[in-house]
Amino acid sequence: MSRLLERQDQLIEIARRLGLDFYDIRFESVPWEVMDEIAAYGLPIRAQHWSYGRLFERNRVHGQMGLSKIYEIVINNDPVYAFLLDTNSEVENLLVTAHVAAHADFFKHNACFESTDRKMVTEAMEHAARIESYAEEYGAARVERIMDIALALERHIDPHKGVFRKGYPGRKVVERHVRSDQYADLTVEGVRLSKTKRVIGDKMPPHPERDLLWFLARYAPVENWERDILEMVREEAYYFYPQFTTKIINEGWASYWHAEIMKEYRELSPSEMVDFAALHGGVVQPGSGMSVNPYYLGYKIFVDVFHRYNDMYKAGESDIDGRAKLFEVRRHEDDFSFLRNYLTESLSEEMGLYTYAPACKEHPGGHDACPECEKIALDSRDLAEVVEGLLRPRYHYGMPRITIDDVAQGKLFLNHDEEIGRVLDREFAEKTMGYIFELWKAPILLSTRNDRGQRLELTMDEKGFHASIKGRNARRLS
Amino acid sequence: MEWASPWDLRQRGMKDAKRHRERVREAIRKNLHHLIVEEAIITSRGDRKVKVPIKYLTHYHFRYGDNWEGVGRGPGEPGDIIGRKSKPGDHPGQMDGAGDQPGDLIYEQEVSFDELTEIMLEDLNLPRLKDNEKKEVEAEGIRFDDVRRRGLIHNLDKRRSLLENVKRRASRGQSGVGRFDDRDLRYRVWTDVKKPTSRAAIYMLMDRSGSMSSEKRYIAKSFFFWLTRFLKLKYDQVELIFIAHDVRAEIVSEEDFFTVSASGGTRCSSAYHLAKQHLKEMHPPLSWNNYIFHFTDGDNLPSDNDEATELLTSLLKLCRMVGYGEITYRNFGAFYRPSATSGAAVGTERRLSSLYKALSTIESDHLILTSIDSRDEIYRTLQDFLAGDGRGAS
Repeated sequence: MSRLLERQDQLIEIARRLGLDFYDIRFESVPWEVMDEIAAYGLPIRAQHWSYGRLFERNRVHGQMGLSKIYEIVINNDPVYAFLLDTNSEVENLLVTAHVAAHADFFKHNACFESTDRKMVTEAMEHAARIESYAEEYGAARVERIMDIALALERHIDPHKGVFRKGYPGRKVVERHVRSDQYADLTVEGVRLSKTKRVIGDKMPPHPERDLLWFLARYAPVENWERDILEMVREEAYYFYPQFTTKIINEGWASYWHAEIMKEYRELSPSEMVDFAALHGGVVQPGSGMSVNPYYLGYKIFVDVFHRYNDMYKAGESDIDGRAKLFEVRRHEDDFSFLRNYLTESLSEEMGLYTYAPACKEHPGGHDACPECEKIALDSRDLAEVVEGLLRPRYHYGMPRITIDDVAQGKLFLNHDEEIGRVLDREFAEKTMGYIFELWKAPILLSTRNDRGQRLELTMDEKGFHASIKGRNARRLS
Repeated sequence: MEWASPWDLRQRGMKDAKRHRERVREAIRKNLHHLIVEEAIITSRGDRKVKVPIKYLTHYHFRYGDNWEGVGRGPGEPGDIIGRKSKPGDHPGQMDGAGDQPGDLIYEQEVSFDELTEIMLEDLNLPRLKDNEKKEVEAEGIRFDDVRRRGLIHNLDKRRSLLENVKRRASRGQSGVGRFDDRDLRYRVWTDVKKPTSRAAIYMLMDRSGSMSSEKRYIAKSFFFWLTRFLKLKYDQVELIFIAHDVRAEIVSEEDFFTVSASGGTRCSSAYHLAKQHLKEMHPPLSWNNYIFHFTDGDNLPSDNDEATELLTSLLKLCRMVGYGEITYRNFGAFYRPSATSGAAVGTERRLSSLYKALSTIESDHLILTSIDSRDEIYRTLQDFLAGDGRGAS
């Protein structure tokens, strides 16, 4: 063990020398049960919920069947916590150490993580303790129910508004001085301002609200402890959000650097080198058919950026060389901009990327009797479409974009407005609206579209759920 | 580390996994009446796992409907078929690994047969079961409940032995674990757990006459199938007697009973007669708890009704309970599907046979009459019969 510790220190030193910069990393070697558990919860200690139990069980079964093995978990925190599986071989631990160092650098320097809570490990422990005390006071069943609801809505946040928000402004009349027209200052009379009065805070909410949990915690008639739970869950969702939007770039960065660091490391025996090469190959294996390995994708892009910018630097087309460019990319990009800016036509071709879609174009929603509908076909190799296809599941925290648009007569009006063809799952919408109804305690209406593009109005109230098509020939569907 | 508990004492994952399993059971329980009549289950004879689709457990959130678009990689031209849609939830296009998507998806849970039986039979009991002949006591198992200095090496209690070693050495001012001495070793010892058992004999009577359509026989067999499983699981000492009858009755093997085909007319008294005879000979009520369950469509020869009633009345004196189930199902459609509405007609439009009416004149709270008209009601019927003490009679 002491030899490993020594070698880990050497790797950390190399990482720093190569330009990576990170908070202290606390490595801990843990048994697989603990590994599976932390992987399921996302943090060492987090409030209990059966859905984590399900993930835990699944991880465990997969692990036992040898389908997957979790070598490492790294937690964005100051200090960074890194958990290594206690059955890892020494080479595995070395690779993982280098990999973790790069993740830690990414957490510290990527712009998306600027406002993340670096004390989330202890924060989440406090949340867990508080929620446990609520369970004692108000009953486990009620707490579980609120957790069900909160976790169902946790990804509907507004990253631009941030975790800590004030309530909407109250109703007041503001006076504004407005130029009579846009080009007024060009005329001889100069700037002539006209006074207008505007009422703000009249509409609730003043703008379509994306942060559903925030809105409900703030404005729904819930008890204080319920509000507290909603807010805690929301806070943790904000903590995880940047990890969601930087999955490809972050894993690419870590994979790029574990290879670089190990290249610099002279203390590997020949057999260890072979082991390392095999391991690295496994981490960045491409995937095939209907999946692409994000590690592979990110890794390939970083390697490509490095070489392209070195060439451009030499040719005088770039002010910075490949290495400097890498650090710039790591600083500024998330998955969206990373793929849009740095996945090139030729690289996409080299990797063989394509989009796929149902083979049948006649039945967009699928049709039971149609044999073509069962099949999935390669759709396109067009770069723009590939990029869009990669990014589509990453918008809005992977959730449909639902906003709260209006509150009228106590009713809550939700809106789902997206490109035609992306249709909500009816049953899931019904149940989720049921959750919101439980908090709001007054009718919930959701406007969405069906697969033909017609406006669909879903309602959840005391009488239950129903759906109708909006328009002149409105008819009830269920 | 800031969290103090050692890793092996952590129970959070286990606790939540347990809660998750509880929810699975709840979900199964809610859907039992559909699940237990699945052809695949009944015909499997209990030797495999069944897949139970559980929607109810799903953690709902807003999500898109069927979505089969994504990005993959490999060779091929646009238009080439690269795969097929599989079950919802298996969408391979998601690049995200475990934990990245919140728990969702309608998923199928594998439940072992015994587990399913156990869940469904949790609340069921043989009514009025009494402990007969208390002297018949049997060891049911062993329980480790003490520790001693002598014992079998296999039962060595390593933790305690280790502790003793540390304690002994500590008392001599030494720290840590040292050489083990015979004085350190502790062995676990057990006691037999004894429990009075009661013997029960269950008579299963099934009408196999020509009027028992395949659907009716299916219902009857399903009922007996579950009854048999229930009894075998819950009671160690039960004897099962299978009687199939048309105008004549005969005792058949369990296997034949469940594969019986239909022919002939119906005389229920024949079965009662045979049961009575067998019961008197083999299972005197003094030392046996006797139960009779009879399933028929009630299409009995009218001339036989009086005799059947009389015999049943006398049987009641020998039995803890007699259950009579009449299958009134009359729809012979080949594409029968259990539906939510099939139970709507209960009690109003059921046509009960003259035998049923004759039997209902018997005054005894040991007799339970019930009728069943669809597969969905099998579970209800089991509950009617096996509600346990206090709720038996109708």
